[in-house]
Amino acid sequence: MIPAEYLAGLGAILFCIGLVGVFTRANAIIVLMCVEIMLNAVNLNFVAGALHHGDVTGWVFTAIAIAIAAAEVAVGLAIFLALYGEHESISFDDITTLKH
Amino acid sequence: MAVLKNTQLKFLIPIGLLLLFPFMRIYGGEFARGSPFDALESAFLIPLIPLLIFPIIAILGQVYNKEEWWKERFKEGGMIAICGLAIALSLTVWLAIQFFTQGTGGDDALRWSLFNWISFDVLGQTADGTWVTMQKDVALGVGIWVDPLSLMLLFVAAFLCFLICWFSLGYMNTDPINENRNHRFYAEFVLFSAGMLGMVLADSFLWLFIFWEIMGLCSYLLIGFYYERPSAAYAAKKAFLTTRVGDVFLLIGLLILYDLYGSLDYSVIFGDPSIGGTVDAGMLKWAMLMLFIGAVGKSAQFPLHVWLPDAMEGPTPVSALIHAATMVNAGLYLVARMVPFFDVTAHGSGVEGLGDVAIIIAWTGGITACMAAMIAFVQNDIKKVLAYSTMSQLAYIFTGLGVSLWLFNNDHHNAAVIAFGASMFHLFNHAMAKGMLFMASGSVIHEMHHAHDHVSDPGDHDDDFDAQDMRNMGGLASKLPVTATAMAIGSASIIGLPLIGGFWSKEGIIAEVWSATAIYGASWMLFPAFLILLTAGMTGFYMTRMWMMTFAGKPKSVSAAHAHEATPWIRTPLVVLSVIALLGGFLLSLLGAVHWLGDGEALGSALGHDGAVMTVLETIKHAFLPDETFLLLVTWTAVAISLVLGPMMAMRIHGGRLAKGESAHFGIAWLLPLSTRFGKSDVTALANSGVADALQRRLFFDEWYDAAVAATVIPLANVLAWFDNRIIDGAIRGIEWGSQSISREVRKLTTGSARDYILMAVVGTLSIAALMWRAAV
Repeated sequence: MIPAEYLAGLGAILFCIGLVGVFTRANAIIVLMCVEIMLNAVNLNFVAGALHHGDVTGWVFTAIAIAIAAAEVAVGLAIFLALYGEHESISFDDITTLKH
Repeated sequence: MAVLKNTQLKFLIPIGLLLLFPFMRIYGGEFARGSPFDALESAFLIPLIPLLIFPIIAILGQVYNKEEWWKERFKEGGMIAICGLAIALSLTVWLAIQFFTQGTGGDDALRWSLFNWISFDVLGQTADGTWVTMQKDVALGVGIWVDPLSLMLLFVAAFLCFLICWFSLGYMNTDPINENRNHRFYAEFVLFSAGMLGMVLADSFLWLFIFWEIMGLCSYLLIGFYYERPSAAYAAKKAFLTTRVGDVFLLIGLLILYDLYGSLDYSVIFGDPSIGGTVDAGMLKWAMLMLFIGAVGKSAQFPLHVWLPDAMEGPTPVSALIHAATMVNAGLYLVARMVPFFDVTAHGSGVEGLGDVAIIIAWTGGITACMAAMIAFVQNDIKKVLAYSTMSQLAYIFTGLGVSLWLFNNDHHNAAVIAFGASMFHLFNHAMAKGMLFMASGSVIHEMHHAHDHVSDPGDHDDDFDAQDMRNMGGLASKLPVTATAMAIGSASIIGLPLIGGFWSKEGIIAEVWSATAIYGASWMLFPAFLILLTAGMTGFYMTRMWMMTFAGKPKSVSAAHAHEATPWIRTPLVVLSVIALLGGFLLSLLGAVHWLGDGEALGSALGHDGAVMTVLETIKHAFLPDETFLLLVTWTAVAISLVLGPMMAMRIHGGRLAKGESAHFGIAWLLPLSTRFGKSDVTALANSGVADALQRRLFFDEWYDAAVAATVIPLANVLAWFDNRIIDGAIRGIEWGSQSISREVRKLTTGSARDYILMAVVGTLSIAALMWRAAV
């Protein structure tokens, strides 16, 4: 049985990896993947909590979060398509319309 | 009815309303409520109807001013205005009838409260600094106050508003210059009427002030009616700002009164003006003085008189109504309202020690009377002569009121009542006569203007021709017989020809001022007493001069030779007012108006115990053969100089026969050959002298005021402008510059890149987490 602390530590490491990816990469799809990594890092934390407390609630939350993440990816990819139609690019370096 | 032309039919509309409206009220009231007609209950309609008509004319006129029916049927709003004023006049007459038949029932006045406008609690600070409610539910009410004073002025105002509106229908609507904008004139005219009627009926100083300001506004708007002329725009500003000086003092006076009495209602203040002897006479004196300065501004007295002559830039009906007959009387009304404060006799409960204010009032009156009459000597503009005459006659009334207040304050009740009554009677006579004189001058100007347009080539616009300049007139007695007769009667009333209205009141004022000086020991009144006696003679001179220059001799311009009288709308009010000036004043004076105008209770006794014939004989004997020898002397001196010396000198200088073949109306025909009996004086040397020049330039008052303004207000304004530019605007510019530069820096953070925003969000979240961590540990 893997101790809950290990799972939480892995979650923290994955979260930092995802965060760094979000900051450093320009391609929107890579950024979305990094966001997914961060999300799953959080899911790992839920699992760790569930193990630690011996309670099923954490598992249930994880299942719901994965389902919602799937829907969210679909929405994210649709947004990128729309962005591409608008700007001919999905690089964050080219898209700076937020400052207007 | 078919024989009546359309224009004649129109006469019947206002007259019909005048006669029918009360019956509608009477029978309508009986039918609807089963109670008899009470004029007092309807009195609030007197100012309300004109007030409601004002927006109707303004809006309809603005929308439809190009339409044919608006010009023909509605006379550009004039028909609506005159119908409203006819209703107001008929209600006024019914109110007067009810007042004189039923009396006040022993009260000060007939009162009628309409509703409470504002009610509030008065807070006060106690010794230990906490705020508590001192009085609960103090109400500023709206109500009606009718006593002989307000009733007299109400009648004058309603009657003259009606007649002058009638005159305007002939005067304003026939002049092409007014086309498409007469609705503005009539709208402001009825708003003014509402202000005047409301001011007179108001039952508190607060409402008096509000209506007073409405009148000031209308005066400003109507003087500036021809706003495209720079002189008219300037005159409007001048009138507004000069009266504003007085109004500020009036407001201060009212605030002092509120502080002293905790209310501005007449019923509270006049109930006991000394509140059982607790009111501080020193403070009250200041309040009275401030109210008087307000009156000085409104009634164009020295030293705030400079606006009135310039106010003649307005249309002539405006000069007749506002600047001669009604609005300028508002100041007199205010001073007359002060009587209860001064009345320390057994009938009143005023405050002692206000005699100084009364002396100031009388002196102001005396100085203005003499100064205005002097300036009127040399004016060539017919309306300016009348304007200065107005100032001078109002000053008579101020002198009479000042003396009356002094007598009230020194416990001489009977003499005070007579001085007061004489002053108010002079107000009545002067308003009627001067309203008519202005309308007559309007008739002259109108016909001169028409004749000028007629004789000059249509293409050749001779802009130098001044239809108001008497040097262009002369010989009009045969061309304008009704106008000439009306003007002769009006002038006679102002001069004080024995038996005509103005004689009774003016002699009354002079006699009372002199008897106050000689019998009651008001030694300070000697100066105004001399001045107004002198002014009586000067009045005779300038009024005769004006009449002679306008109507006698040979025509002095081509236009004057071609003038003729046309419009019946113009003639009717002249005839009506001639009759009133000729007979009305006479009858009223024989009925003892001088007594009951001052004291409402005397009305019943005026005719009661002696019988009418005895009263008449008594009045005539009192006027011509008073008991005291010196009064006899004063009376006959006044008559001699005002009737013989002044007019004779004017006739020597300006009199003359008409041109060959011309003849005047039989009523005035004798005047013209008479004027040549006194020979002829050549006054060229006198007219070119420095004195005449100083008078021409109105004794340099405008220059002095300009210099005073240049020395005080303008440097101060410059300092303030510098302060505004540098300090206030500088501060604002500094704030603007600072925020601009800060935002220029901050703007750089907004890159638009999503990653930077996420970074900021992360940094923010981490810092909050760190803070919570620290707090937890």
